Formats: sequence, structure tokens, C-alpha cells
Amino acid sequence: MAEAEAMVAAPEARGRGRLRLRLISAATLIVLGAVVVASSVVTQRAIRDQERVLLQERTGEAASVLGSAFAGIQQSLSLLGTIAGAGQGRSSLFVSAARSVLTSGTEGLMVTTQRGTGMVVTATAGDAPAVGQAIPADQEPLAHRALSTTGMVSGVLPDGSRSWLAFALGNAAGPGTVVWTRLAFSAGSTAQAPAGPWGNLNIALYLSGRPDPATLLVATTKDLPLAGGFQYPFTVGADTWLLVASSPTPLVGRLAQDTPWIILIIGAAVAALVTTVVEAQGRRRDYATALVEERTASLRQAVTELEQAQAQLVRQEKMAAMGQLASTVGHELRNPLAVIMNVLYLLETIAGAEGSEAMLRHLATAKRETSAATLIVADLLDYSAGRAPMLAPVRVADLVTEVLSVVPPPAGIEVVQHVEPDIAIDVDRDQIRQVLLNLVTNGYDAMPGGGILDVSVRSAEGTALITVTDTGIGMDEETQANIFTPFYTTKVRGIGLGLAVTRRVVEAHGGTISVQSTPSVGTSFKVTVRVGAPVASVPR
Amino acid sequence: MNVTKQPDVLVVDDEPGMRDTLVAILELQGYRVSSAPDGETAYAAVQDGSFDVVVMDIRMPGRDGVSVLEEMGDPPPHVILMTAYAQEERLRAAVEANAFAIVHKPFETRRMLGLVAAASRAVKELA
Repeated sequence: MAEAEAMVAAPEARGRGRLRLRLISAATLIVLGAVVVASSVVTQRAIRDQERVLLQERTGEAASVLGSAFAGIQQSLSLLGTIAGAGQGRSSLFVSAARSVLTSGTEGLMVTTQRGTGMVVTATAGDAPAVGQAIPADQEPLAHRALSTTGMVSGVLPDGSRSWLAFALGNAAGPGTVVWTRLAFSAGSTAQAPAGPWGNLNIALYLSGRPDPATLLVATTKDLPLAGGFQYPFTVGADTWLLVASSPTPLVGRLAQDTPWIILIIGAAVAALVTTVVEAQGRRRDYATALVEERTASLRQAVTELEQAQAQLVRQEKMAAMGQLASTVGHELRNPLAVIMNVLYLLETIAGAEGSEAMLRHLATAKRETSAATLIVADLLDYSAGRAPMLAPVRVADLVTEVLSVVPPPAGIEVVQHVEPDIAIDVDRDQIRQVLLNLVTNGYDAMPGGGILDVSVRSAEGTALITVTDTGIGMDEETQANIFTPFYTTKVRGIGLGLAVTRRVVEAHGGTISVQSTPSVGTSFKVTVRVGAPVASVPR
Repeated sequence: MNVTKQPDVLVVDDEPGMRDTLVAILELQGYRVSSAPDGETAYAAVQDGSFDVVVMDIRMPGRDGVSVLEEMGDPPPHVILMTAYAQEERLRAAVEANAFAIVHKPFETRRMLGLVAAASRAVKELA
């Protein structure tokens, strides 16, 4: 029962376990995946910020270095302005001072605003335009801006294929005068990377606060404007210049740049590994659990069997104890019964000589009842102790006569004998006598309303066939199937051992017993016993 | 009984009821009957006297019927043994010691008388 339940419950439990395992594995994978992706994103942000900070620092450094690069020319202009102011616009003094102040490649100019003719060069140093010449119209805005501004201004002056980087100081040598210096350079961008620690930067320098291509002074790349570049404005004189820098390769390094991807890949691998381990452990635990359940079921079954076996043993012991008791009581009854039978014989003998008819009748009743008691005791002892037959030659006819004298037919029953007189069999006399007593008394009991009991003995093919047939109530099939079962009885009196013992005795003699019965018609028992079995062979 | 000399029968049983009734029954039949209550007494009686037939219980206190049978003198009387118990070993020993008959208690009194008569006849035939 318990085993059957366990077998039915097992697949369901296994299915539930598998589903739970799947959920745990999925949850593990999702949680680990989320952690990995979050780590990757955070790392990416941090690296991007770091990259930004680095670019900012480099750009600032580059700007300060560029600023100082133009410091010399600015100082020169400041000096020229002072000289021009002191000389009150005298050109000879300006020219001689300019020669000593300006570095090579740099030109100095003093321009004076003239009424009607515009702006005319009043002094010059280097290959600057000649004195008295008007400055080109496209250079006038710078001059005008210088005049309207306190402090130095700067600008790019186009001049054919060349350009000038110019710094101008307004009203230095009196109102309407402009002193400026200019430095020739190739305008626009160069593909040349800046030297020094900014070699890995793309840089563009504008002489205005905005990345206006018209104000581009220099760039290290042609890809302008610089996408995502960092803009660093700084003041030069009265102007604001703008340095834009970007980094084509990560400043934090390639490895740092790839770290988020590395984290993602390694994290994914770890997540998969951990999930696999979790799944494997879960499977192992489920297997162990199933194994434990299985073992528990078989153990429970074993315990049940053991308990049943023990109960059986206890029952058998009780039966054995009862059998022992029955056997002891039976043996102890044999002596008193024998004495009573002797006494009855004595009384009968004496009464036969001088007693009354009533006395003889009562004695016959006492003898019959004593015989019934004797038969019960004999059956009980034979059933509980089952002694092996001790064979000796016996004439069946004598045995039948003796049995019929021990249990004479009651009133209303007639006994008919068909006995062949000279059939001898090698049997245990007392046991076969008991068989006949049982069959004959059973026949009597089956005919409470009277009838005929036929006892026949004949020989056939080496066996003696003994048949006891009554014309009694008969038996149904169920009763016929059970009559040889110990303790089965349909009688009011009796303990149900007679036919069980009868069959055992017959079979111990190597014989057979069978029954044929029809309800309300009668019953016939057939017993076969071998003729002339050797006396020495005593079956145990 | 048509005999010149009545056969001598010894009845041996520790149960007084059995012993006394058997003695009475055999005496009614005309036998000369003696009795003994145990194996030792029976053995001594058989050694002293000359019994034709001994009717003896097997299980008795002290010496049992089979051992008395086994050690009887020459010529031994015919011995009919009685038993109320299923002692197969002793029964087999009794058969080997040439018991005249073994009777299970309780028995038909007529059958016992028949056996005693047969044993007496056998003694006479020997003589």
C-alpha cells in the first residue's frame, strides 16, 4: 500500500522538483546577468568621465602652452606701443626700436588714420608695406577694432596665398594711431600633429570665442569641426581665443576603453558557469532526495513484512502452544477412558447374567458415548501429533466388524455390508480403524431421519477399495470443498478434525480418499489402500 | 475356556483403576491373574514365577514396560503392551523386542480379551 502510494507520487514530485530547479536556474541567470550589465554600464560611465577629465586637462595644458608661444610677440607689440607713445608717432624712432624688439619673421607697422585717404602706414619695420601707402581694405576692420578697444586685439589677415597673424594696439602713439605686429603663416589646417605630450590630440585654434572657420588659425586635422571635441576658451589681450581638442584614440588607454566589454564577457561566462553549477547541484540534490524516498519506501515495506512475519510467528507459537495443550489433555484422557470402557464391560457382563433390560440399554448408551469421546480424543491427538503408521497385516473384514460393534447403528438406520472376506492390507490397524470409525459415524450423522449405510470392501488392481455410502442430507459444493479442512464442521457436535485426520492417515498409507455427494440424496466416500505393502517400510 | 491348566497372566500398570479392572475382567474369563504396580516388581515377578502372558503398560514410573520386555528371561512369556502416548521410539523398540501385540488406550475390552486368548494359545502350541 505504502509502496504503491510512493510509486504514484514519485513522478509528480519529480516534475515539481524539475520546475522548481528551472525557476531557480532562471532566477540565478537573470540576477547575475543584471549585475554584470550594471557593472559594465557603471564602468563605462566612469571610464567616459575619466576620458573627459583627461581631455580637459590636456586641452588646458595645450592652451596655456600655445598662449605662452604667442607671449613674445605680444610683449614686442606692448614695447612697440610704449616706444611709439614716447616718440609721439615719429617713425625713425619706431623703426629703430622695432628692429631691436621684433624677432625674425615678424613685422612691425605703425598706421595713422588720415582724414579723407583712410589709414596710411606712417612707419614700418621688416617687409611691411611702404610708408605712405594705405593699408588694404580687408585689413582695416582690425585697425578699426583696435582703435575702439582698450588693449591688444588679434586677428587673421588674408594676404594672397599667405595669411598674417596680427596683433594690434589702438591709440598707442596718440589718437587715431594703431601699432601692430604681424607674423606670416599658412592659413587653414595642417595635417601636422602638434609635438610634445599632445601628440595624440586633434587640435584646432580659433581667434574667436566660437569655432568660426573664418577665424581658424591652425588645425592638426582636416576633419573640421572636431566632433565631440572639448572647447577651451582663453583670453589673449582683449580677445578670446578658442582651443578645440579631441582625442582620436582613448586617452585612458585601449584596455580601459574595452574594460566594460571585458566585464560583460567575463561576467556572462561567470553567470553561465554559476547557473550551471546551481543546476547541477540542484539535480544532484533532487536525485539524492528521490533516492532517499525510494530507500525509505523499501525500508518501510521491509518493516511491514517483518511485522507481518512476526505476527505470523506469534500466531504459530500460540497455535503450537494450544496444540501442545490439546495433546497433553488428550493423552491424559486416554487412561480414564480406557478404565471406563473396562468398567462398562464388567458391568455389562455382570448385568447380562442378572440385570434388567433397562440397565443393559443404559450401559449401551454409556458405551456409545464413551466411544464418541474416544474417537474425538484420537482425532485430536492424531491431528496434533500425527504419528507415522506402524504397518501390520490386517483383514479388512475384521476391522469393519469391529468398527460396527464399537459404533452400532442408531435406531432408524440400517447398515448393509458388501465386504469381500479375505482382503488383507498392510496398515496401521488403529489408524485405519479410526478412518472407518470416522466415515461410519459421519454417515450416521448425515441421516438424522434414518436411512441406509452401505459399507463395501473389494479389491481392484492391487488396492483395496473401501466405500462408505449414506442416503442422508448430502452436501453442497462449497461444503464438499471444505470437508477436509481442519476445524471445518457443519455438525452441532464435533470439532471438525475427523475428515482432516482421515485424509492424512490415508495419504500417510499411500492411499487416496475422494467424496461424491448430492444434496438430499446422499454422500459416498471412497478410500483406496494398497494391498500387501511390505511391513518393513514404515513411512515417517 | 477349555483348558486343563488355566494360563497365568500378569497385569502390570501403575494406574490402579486400569490394573484392577483388567484383573477383574481376566479373572471373569477364568485366567489366573497376578498384578504388579511398576516395572521393577513386574520384572522380579517374571523372574520368580512362570507367566504365560504379561499385559503391561509402557509408561510407568521407574522402569518402563519396553525395558522389562527387553530383559525377560528364557523362555519369555508373551507380552501385550498398552500405551496411552505416542512414543514412537519406544513402540519401535517394543516391536524389535518381539512384543506379541501393542494396544493403544483406550481399547475395546473384547479386543484385549481376544489378544490374551491368542497369546495363550500360542504358548500352548509352543509347549
